[in-house]
Amino acid sequence: MSTEPAVAPAPRLSLADFATMAITFFSLGVTLQVVLIDNGTSAMRAFVASSVIFSATSQFAYLAVIDAGGGEWAAILAGVIVATRFGILAVSLTPRLPDGTLRRVAASLNAFDPNVAIAVQQPTADGVEREFWRTTAGMYLGWFIGIGVGTFLGDVLGDTQRLGLDAVFPAALLAIIGNLLRTADGRVAGIAGGLLCLVLLPFAPAGLPIILSLGGVAIAILLSKEPES
Amino acid sequence: MSVLAIVALTVGVWGQRLAGGFLVGPLLERRPTLARAAGLIPAAVVMAVIVQLTVANGKSLVFDERLAGVAVAGLLVWRRAPFIVVVLSAAVTTALLRAL
Repeated sequence: MSTEPAVAPAPRLSLADFATMAITFFSLGVTLQVVLIDNGTSAMRAFVASSVIFSATSQFAYLAVIDAGGGEWAAILAGVIVATRFGILAVSLTPRLPDGTLRRVAASLNAFDPNVAIAVQQPTADGVEREFWRTTAGMYLGWFIGIGVGTFLGDVLGDTQRLGLDAVFPAALLAIIGNLLRTADGRVAGIAGGLLCLVLLPFAPAGLPIILSLGGVAIAILLSKEPES
Repeated sequence: MSVLAIVALTVGVWGQRLAGGFLVGPLLERRPTLARAAGLIPAAVVMAVIVQLTVANGKSLVFDERLAGVAVAGLLVWRRAPFIVVVLSAAVTTALLRAL
């Protein structure tokens, strides 16, 4: 269950990493705001939504379903299902933190892909917590500046399609699950889930293709040669 | 984005982290197959979102410049390029093809 690289040298967050983290979340934030406002959400509501939800994946999944003519609850369900990723990240992060319910709750609530990936590579519990929060700070900084710029200066950017911003988020997601796709099981689950969605898209009610892509997990487990890990 | 969606997604997103860290985690420790399945959910579901964002226009499939941008991104992810390079290349590829 736990992701213990044990002997691997523990990378600590350098200033360059911090900047990369901030720039990454900045670009996601700007893109999300521009798309939200393009989709008819008022600027203020878009800003509030991204501040409190703080999950571009969920918000994009929600928008994709609404865009396809899906109902409100189908869209919400799709948005929640894609966020299971965060729950799974919390599963690997939480046991590695120093004792203390409050600090564990606080860190778990902020589990994202990059901060957990960097944190769990630290050898000690204190190191895990320290690098986790340092990475998280970079993410928050970039995100809030990004959604601020996207909300209030989005018009200056002009036509987002012309800038290719609609390709930014799928590309970012691909990078996020890149390591998982490198594993044999992950690759099967990803390809199967993607194909299921592709085949279902034109026929199934909006939202369902994303939900039913969970079948890719079952396919990966069934096809996997490993008896029990 | 409706107020209902904002509230429901906020609860759903943050709540799942708590559930993962404090309920699901301890539960999965005794069930290795279930734990493996849980670990694979992001691959399947996030890939579905990628597909939807890349080739869907409403309910019809559209293969346009986005797909080229995302394909370039896929190649770069495979070659372990830095995140920011992946994202920028996708945007630039898509934008350039549209400008042609």
